[in-house]
Amino acid sequence: MLIIKDLHASVGDKPILNGINLEIKAGEIHAIMGPNGSGKSTLSNVLAGRENATVTSGSVLYQGKDLLALAIEERARQGIFLAFQYPVEIPGVGNVYLLKAALNAQRKHRGLPELDALDFLALVKDKMKLMEMNESMLYRSVNEGFSGGEKKRNEILQMAVLEPKLAILDETDSGLDIDALKIVANGVNSLRAEDRAMILVTHYQRLLDYIKPDFVHVLVGGKIVRSGGPELAHELEKQGYAWISDEGTGVAEVQPKS
Amino acid sequence: MSAAIQHYQSEFERVAPLLPWRDSAPWHAWRQSGWSRFAEQGFPSTRHEEWKYTSVAVLEKLALSCTPVVPETMAWALLKEKSVLPDASHRLVFVDGVYQPKLSSVGELPSGLRMGAISDQSARDSIRLQGLLEQAQRRTPFAALNAAFMTEGAWVTADVGVHLDEPLLIMYVATKGRRAMHVVNAYEAAAESTFAVVEQYLGMTDEPYLVNEVTGVTLEQGAKITHVKIQQEGPRSYHIAALQALQKRESRFDSHSFALSGALGRNDIESALVEPGAAVSMRGLYRVAGRELQDFHTTIRHDSPDCSSDECFKGVLNDSGRAVFNGKIRVAPDAQHTISQQTNHNLLLSDQAEVDTKPQLEIFADDVKCSHGATVGQLDEEQWFYLRSRGLSSEHARTLLIEAFALDIVTGIEHPVLRSALESLLRSTAHV
Ligand SMILES: Nc1ncnc2c1ncn2[C@@H]1O[C@H](COP(=O)(O)OP(=O)(O)OP(=O)(O)O)[C@@H](O)[C@H]1O
Ligand SMILES: [Mg+2]
Repeated sequence: MLIIKDLHASVGDKPILNGINLEIKAGEIHAIMGPNGSGKSTLSNVLAGRENATVTSGSVLYQGKDLLALAIEERARQGIFLAFQYPVEIPGVGNVYLLKAALNAQRKHRGLPELDALDFLALVKDKMKLMEMNESMLYRSVNEGFSGGEKKRNEILQMAVLEPKLAILDETDSGLDIDALKIVANGVNSLRAEDRAMILVTHYQRLLDYIKPDFVHVLVGGKIVRSGGPELAHELEKQGYAWISDEGTGVAEVQPKS
Repeated sequence: MSAAIQHYQSEFERVAPLLPWRDSAPWHAWRQSGWSRFAEQGFPSTRHEEWKYTSVAVLEKLALSCTPVVPETMAWALLKEKSVLPDASHRLVFVDGVYQPKLSSVGELPSGLRMGAISDQSARDSIRLQGLLEQAQRRTPFAALNAAFMTEGAWVTADVGVHLDEPLLIMYVATKGRRAMHVVNAYEAAAESTFAVVEQYLGMTDEPYLVNEVTGVTLEQGAKITHVKIQQEGPRSYHIAALQALQKRESRFDSHSFALSGALGRNDIESALVEPGAAVSMRGLYRVAGRELQDFHTTIRHDSPDCSSDECFKGVLNDSGRAVFNGKIRVAPDAQHTISQQTNHNLLLSDQAEVDTKPQLEIFADDVKCSHGATVGQLDEEQWFYLRSRGLSSEHARTLLIEAFALDIVTGIEHPVLRSALESLLRSTAHV
């Protein structure tokens, strides 16, 4: 589904990603962990098409196509979804309006007719129940005045409505209370499917207790310095990153076993 | 005497016998004095501080005709589809500066509320207009010209305690080019009365013309007027206006200006809070594209204690559009406990667009809460990315963000019918 080869990217003159290699197959869940500032969000943003980091070399194939050549909205319509680490507040744009416009953009791309208002509302309300969200949030502006946790839930609600092929969840667990974490994990798990892949960026083992990843990668200094199975996350939880950074500087090119 | 003044002088001589109340001595004197003020000042140049960024040099050379002419007949259906309140039961329509009884429909008003064309008033009744308009007609050289030429306009009065919820509609339509229309509006709200009025200016010609408008507003104790003004003028039009409101004890004036199109627009808006407890809300949106210019000069005078003012203007500037916002707040020495807030936010959508924004605070009292702030910015890149990352096209995302910025200005309108009418107007006229 996704093949990232030797990806380098900079913000301004500052190199942030320094040769990322990663292959993700349909149905897999990959966790990416790593210290603050190691480039996890930058990688997520580059995949979603944000232009503030510039790709300087390398390639990304998504479903066999050159992902980097696609416009932001084109990527979204082809099934890429980024749940933001810091969801943006957009005063004056209704949450429900955005959901509907987003869903219809996807449907149009797939050659499906637009959903009528009733079917759409039924669908959204159904997903809101799953996320245990209050319906009144539909009629507020996108993320405006939402609490940190509400914003994260709203991201997963959008994901549940849009049913992406490749979901990138950038620290969706940060700032969630214990109950909310379960709800979010539940929402994510309900979307686990044979034809869907996910990247979970996280700092905490706890999320991975609820959403079991197939692979765990450690990103340090813009490189994946170690990859392994779920047990790697446990080790990190115990020992921190110093252990990897020390011994790991030379083993940057570890490939996930597949 | 400049060629331009000479032109208007001969227009004045020619038109005087055609103007309302031509046989009334007080009106004759009124017009003469307006003319002298104009002739003395002439057209303002950009050397004039108040007109620094707004040049009327091209307008000055146009030699527009001021002779009222009978416009071609027009069907209401045609205007209705452009009207912001197509179903208003009380409306006055003026075409090319001439009152159109057939297009108007005053309808059944509550007793104590009157609405009509000023030309329908007798010379005797009309004298009271002078008091209502005097301040405003002294404001700018154009307002002085208006005093000399004023031909038509709307007059609304509400007696003590009269309330009307449904907004009154006043439409000014321009169909012929090369003409100057000098119109006035007068709104009087007696104690504890309430009404809402919407002025819609529609340009239906691509030729140059001038709407030179003056409005006088008085609000007695506890009165409330909601005033909405919408400029949808033609691509080569000039719209120059002065509004003066006088607010007594605990009165409330809600003013909403929408300058949506026109080659050049200039509004001087002033409210004087002369008795305690009065409140004014002055809001506006200007949108410019191409080479359009919109200029708002506002003044809020806190002349009395315990008054409040809330001012917010927003601008959306595209292409080589330009805008000027000058917001003066004057707090008199004894106007203690004044609460005053002013903001001006501008969204620049092109590198060529330009805005000059200037707050002018003159505060002579010490126990006051006054704040002001102005911003000039571009579309928020992060918000844009967020919307596109959900699959919205870059154009759609942009339009949404511009709309969200602009429509924010109507959220303060309490009247639900008015609010939704303005919302759809703003959406349907967005030129992006
Ligand atoms: N616009 C920018 N200008 C300058 N530096 C930037 C910019 N955006 C990101 N960076 C830098 O890039 C580096 C990687 O940032 P990134 O947000 O990808 O880290 P992260 O791994 O997601 O960290 P965290 O765990 O704190 O979320 C950081 O050093 C950050 O300061
Ligand atoms: Mg991050």
